[in-house]
Amino acid sequence: MKIKHLLFALTLLCANGHAATIEMTVNGLVCGFCAQGIEKTLRKNPATADVFVSLENRLVAILTKDGADIADAELRKALTDAGYDVKAIERTQHSMSELRSRAKAGK
Amino acid sequence: MNLSFGRLALSTALALGIACGTAAAKPIAFADGTTVMAEYGAGTMTELQAFYAPTFRYSLGGGHLSLNSAETDNTRDITYLRLNYLPKRWNLESAQANVFVWGGAGRAHVGETGDNLFTWNAGGQVDYETRRVYASLRTDYYDASAFSHRIDTLQLGIAPYAHDYETLAVWFVVQAREYTGGLYDGTEWAALVRLFKHNAWLEAGATRDGKLQAMLMFNF
Repeated sequence: MKIKHLLFALTLLCANGHAATIEMTVNGLVCGFCAQGIEKTLRKNPATADVFVSLENRLVAILTKDGADIADAELRKALTDAGYDVKAIERTQHSMSELRSRAKAGK
Repeated sequence: MNLSFGRLALSTALALGIACGTAAAKPIAFADGTTVMAEYGAGTMTELQAFYAPTFRYSLGGGHLSLNSAETDNTRDITYLRLNYLPKRWNLESAQANVFVWGGAGRAHVGETGDNLFTWNAGGQVDYETRRVYASLRTDYYDASAFSHRIDTLQLGIAPYAHDYETLAVWFVVQAREYTGGLYDGTEWAALVRLFKHNAWLEAGATRDGKLQAMLMFNF
């Protein structure tokens, strides 16, 4: 019984206390110099903990702060205002270091 | 042998199978971005510019352009304010293409007469780029009561590798430039190396006359 309570408490803790990764597929990402505006815009959002951009994978990824999220409409507006087109948005459990490693490995 | 610029641009574009367009320095960086640029153009032109873009569609700012004729002793020093506008962008899966237009006005000091004149300017740029190839065609026109000059610049570039967001980008660029109004006879060819990473951009090389052609740019 005590173990069940403990496991239940741990589950609640994990469900409410973790940061999430938002991965966006973006068109027009061909120039790192020009794409600086994406990172600048996204880092202004108070929910943003980290930003990763990969031209190879057409990827803009945001790590949100614990318990925070950014609405899809807000994300699309941020990228559109930066001059790019968002093709897809998904929320994953990939860590930023995992995404960076994957990009480095050319996957 | 001198080629007319129009024939040069058309033949080059046809050879590459693309419409005119190059990924040269863009007059608008990104929303809430500031761009500062300095260019030394083989002694014929030297230019400083600074622009702020409230949105990705337009930027405002100004610059100073010095023109020194390679053929005569004529000089012009032009200080101007300018509005840049991006009427069209195509964001493709692995490419981007842009159309920019701009216009403004300012004051020109004419070296050979000492006169200070009102001057207006207008121009445009089309560009197309992937992470490995780019092309741009740009035209700048300056007009005052005592002179009018147009500067047309074609750039074609190729990258030895596809850079990514956090790596150094290296490009090899061929540039062809023509001036009107007695500034330079014929087509000025230059071979350049372009490097950029994060918010810094450096482009440098030489013309066929052995003169320095260089540009330095920062985005903030």
